[in-house]
Amino acid sequence: MSGNLSSTPADDGRANADRTDGAPARTGRKAPTPRNRGVGMLIITAYGIFAVSSFARALYQILTDFDASPVAYSLSGFAAAVYIVATLALARIGARAWRLALIAVLVELTGVLGVGLWTYLQPELFNEATVWSHFGEGYAFVPLVLPFIGLFWLLRHRPGRPAARGTQA
Amino acid sequence: MTVMFLIGTLVCALSVVVCWVMTAVRDHPADSSIISLALIELYLIVYAVYAGIRQATGASITGEAWEFWGYIVTALMLPVGVFVWAMIDKTRWSNLVMSFVGLVVFVMIYRLEEIWWGSAL
Repeated sequence: MSGNLSSTPADDGRANADRTDGAPARTGRKAPTPRNRGVGMLIITAYGIFAVSSFARALYQILTDFDASPVAYSLSGFAAAVYIVATLALARIGARAWRLALIAVLVELTGVLGVGLWTYLQPELFNEATVWSHFGEGYAFVPLVLPFIGLFWLLRHRPGRPAARGTQA
Repeated sequence: MTVMFLIGTLVCALSVVVCWVMTAVRDHPADSSIISLALIELYLIVYAVYAGIRQATGASITGEAWEFWGYIVTALMLPVGVFVWAMIDKTRWSNLVMSFVGLVVFVMIYRLEEIWWGSAL
C-alpha cells in the first residue's frame, strides 16, 4: 500500500524535478454542482413559494367571485400555472426539463412585464390585483426580479456544458 | 398592533437572522436553523388555536373566514415543506433556504392580521 503511493512521486521527481504538485491528486476532480442543488435550491424554493401562494390566491379569487374582475382573476390563474410549471421544471435535471424551464421563465418574464404595463394603461380592467399587477408591487417586486434570476441560472447551466468543460480543463 | 403579531414578527425575525448567520458559518444545515423553523411552526399552532377558540366562541373577523383559514393551513405547511426540501441537499445553502420561511410567514401573519382585525398595524 505505502510502496504504491511512494512510487509515483519518485518517478515524477526523476522526470522533472522542479514540479512539486502531486499529479495524482488532480484526478480527484470535483463534479460540478447540478442545476437543482446548492444555490439552485434557493431559486427553486422561491419559485415554489410563488407557485403555492399564487395558486392559493387564484383558487380563492376564481371560486369566490370570478365576475368581480374576470381579466385579473384569469391572469392570476395563468400566473399560478406558469409558476407551478417553472418550479417543477427547474427542480428536474435533463435537457427537456431545462427547455421547459426556459420557456416557463420566458413566459413569466413576458407576463410580469406585459401585465405590469397593462395594469398601468388600463387600470379599470384590474379592480382586483394579480401577482403581476404593477410589476409585482404587491409582492415587493419579487415577481419582477425572479424571472431574471431564473433566466441567468438557466443560461449558466445549459445542458451538457458543465461536463464538456470538465473534460477540457 | 396585537401582541400576537408582535411575537410572530420577533419569532420570524429571529429565525431569519439565525439562518443567515448559519449560512455564513456552517457548511451543513445547522441545528439552530432547524430549531428556529420549529419555533415558527409552534407559534403558528398557538396562533391557530387562539384564533380557533376566539372564532368558535363567537368573535367575528373583518374578512372572509375561509380566506383566513386558507392562510393558516398554508402557513402551517410551509416550515415543514421547506425543511424537507432543505434536507435534500445538506450544504451551506440549506440554511439560506430555511431563512425563506421566516420572511414568508411574516408576510402571511401580516395578511392574517389584516383579515382578522382589518389592519395589521
